[in-house]
Amino acid sequence: MAVHSRAKFVGTLLGVVFATLLANFQLGTMFGLLAKNTLFVDNAGADLWIVPPATTFAQPGQRQSTSLLDLARTVPGVQRASAVVMVGTSIAKPGGGSEAITLVGVDLDTMLGGPFNMVAGDPDVLRVRDTVIMEDAQRERCGGLNLGSLREVGGQLVRIGGFTWGLLPFGPAYAFGDLDLVREIAKVPSDELSFVLVDVADGTDPASVKSDLERRIPTAMVISRDAFHDLISYTLLSQQLGITFGVSTLFGLVIGFVIVLLSMYSAVLDNLRELGTLKAIGFSNLDLMRMLVVQAIVYALIGSVLGLGLVAGAAEGIRSANLSLVIPQTLVMITPLAMIVLCVAASFLAFYRAARLEPGIVFR
Amino acid sequence: MTAAIDVSGVTKTFGKGALAFTALTDIAMRVEQGEVVMLVGPSGSGKTTLLSVIGGVLRPSAGRVALFDTDIAKRSERELPVIRRALIGFVFQGHNLIASLTVRDNVQLVLETRGVSRRDARRESDTLLARVGLGDKLDAYPAQLSGGQRQRVAIARAVAGDPPLVLADEPTAALDAHAGLAVTELLAELARERGATVVIVTHDPRILGFGDRIVRIADGRIVPGNEGAS
Repeated sequence: MAVHSRAKFVGTLLGVVFATLLANFQLGTMFGLLAKNTLFVDNAGADLWIVPPATTFAQPGQRQSTSLLDLARTVPGVQRASAVVMVGTSIAKPGGGSEAITLVGVDLDTMLGGPFNMVAGDPDVLRVRDTVIMEDAQRERCGGLNLGSLREVGGQLVRIGGFTWGLLPFGPAYAFGDLDLVREIAKVPSDELSFVLVDVADGTDPASVKSDLERRIPTAMVISRDAFHDLISYTLLSQQLGITFGVSTLFGLVIGFVIVLLSMYSAVLDNLRELGTLKAIGFSNLDLMRMLVVQAIVYALIGSVLGLGLVAGAAEGIRSANLSLVIPQTLVMITPLAMIVLCVAASFLAFYRAARLEPGIVFR
Repeated sequence: MTAAIDVSGVTKTFGKGALAFTALTDIAMRVEQGEVVMLVGPSGSGKTTLLSVIGGVLRPSAGRVALFDTDIAKRSERELPVIRRALIGFVFQGHNLIASLTVRDNVQLVLETRGVSRRDARRESDTLLARVGLGDKLDAYPAQLSGGQRQRVAIARAVAGDPPLVLADEPTAALDAHAGLAVTELLAELARERGATVVIVTHDPRILGFGDRIVRIADGRIVPGNEGAS
């Protein structure tokens, strides 16, 4: 660092670290929340979903006819198709009051849409009559749930047979039960279902099966797992989630930019004589720009590596069923590049000052 | 033979209108290649301004400034750094070393700027620093050296890459008498070894004897009759 004191070096690095930390923390939280809302779709085991038209989330809502299930099973290339019933209900607490849950009724023969991320018990426990699997994070909230606990769900006594971990979307936590049990609890007629989940046979093109399903079932929306994932993410991002986290990420970057900009500019002001010397001995403005840009890149790389290290530490520290930071590999790779752009952009004010410097300053 | 420095009709005025101040008036001066010239005069006489004009860091308001037949007064801002890099080594009143670089790196930086490869630049900077008596201080920072040692580094930096012209602005100003004499002697010696032309601005009468010639300046004009005195 030819024109930077140690204190300013640390100050500039802190600016980059701060920008990296804040931007990644915000984006990591956002990706974490997105992941929580797409977990069910991602892990349901279905290649294709048949959902009511205009559906944007996998959540309780409009119901469809079970005839869709029969139709789906007749389409070539469909290996398995199962009904899922998803209802909003509540679990009673022993001391009074209740906690809202989203109860998912699953076809136990296929287990499409069944429980995953199990931390206690086994999905097959749902074969035991009047048994449900709950979310681990709800245990305390629901009055100290344990394996074997008896609770009223939707007014019907059930036994807790297992626990999942982290299945907490923006709405109430998921709970799972046998399809018939859920119909019974929520009084859903036997000719109604929420979604049809389709597993495409190996070697069959899911896109062609999707086209066939759409042709046969024009009243419903057929959507692939990945497209449903993207639809949920897009819906959340285009609403408050994107704006909130986008703005706070931008603030982090702007504050980091300002810190780096001021720090590099003040370093140039502090070192006018040295810069004048360099110009006098033959450094051109281009040479000075190269020097400042290299300096900016060094700051960006060191700062982003330190910042990402801190983010990784923070992600591990705050990881819980309720919140987890998800830092995709792409974000890890983009961060140093983004910081390089930020630091190089921030170095231009410093360069502007250095370029205007008269080399004759060294003789004064 | 082509003159190292050929200045004619040079005037330098700072400011405009009522605030205008003329620092140099119709200066004519010729320095042959290999000469060591002492440019002397009282404070405010214009000697540093003249050195700045010769060094291409200050543009004259009028006149011609030719270094080895190249008129630098008419060169663009983009060309001047290239000319300075190729032709001139500077020794400043303060040492003006880069504080965050080691002694070796300060010299090596100039060599690399002059197109010397990193390996050769390192070797040459080590040789030069040994020549100025600082072979054991290569990895020291300027702040760890005495004033005389810093000025020795500045001299090594000025002659690194063998520029044909070395301009020194009061190189002894910040030094005690003993160090001042030693530094000037070293500068003159090194320049002669390398065949460089040297102009030293000074008002220190003790070092005048190291020059081949003394040029006196007063009130922005060359004082006639003193050229050639030594």
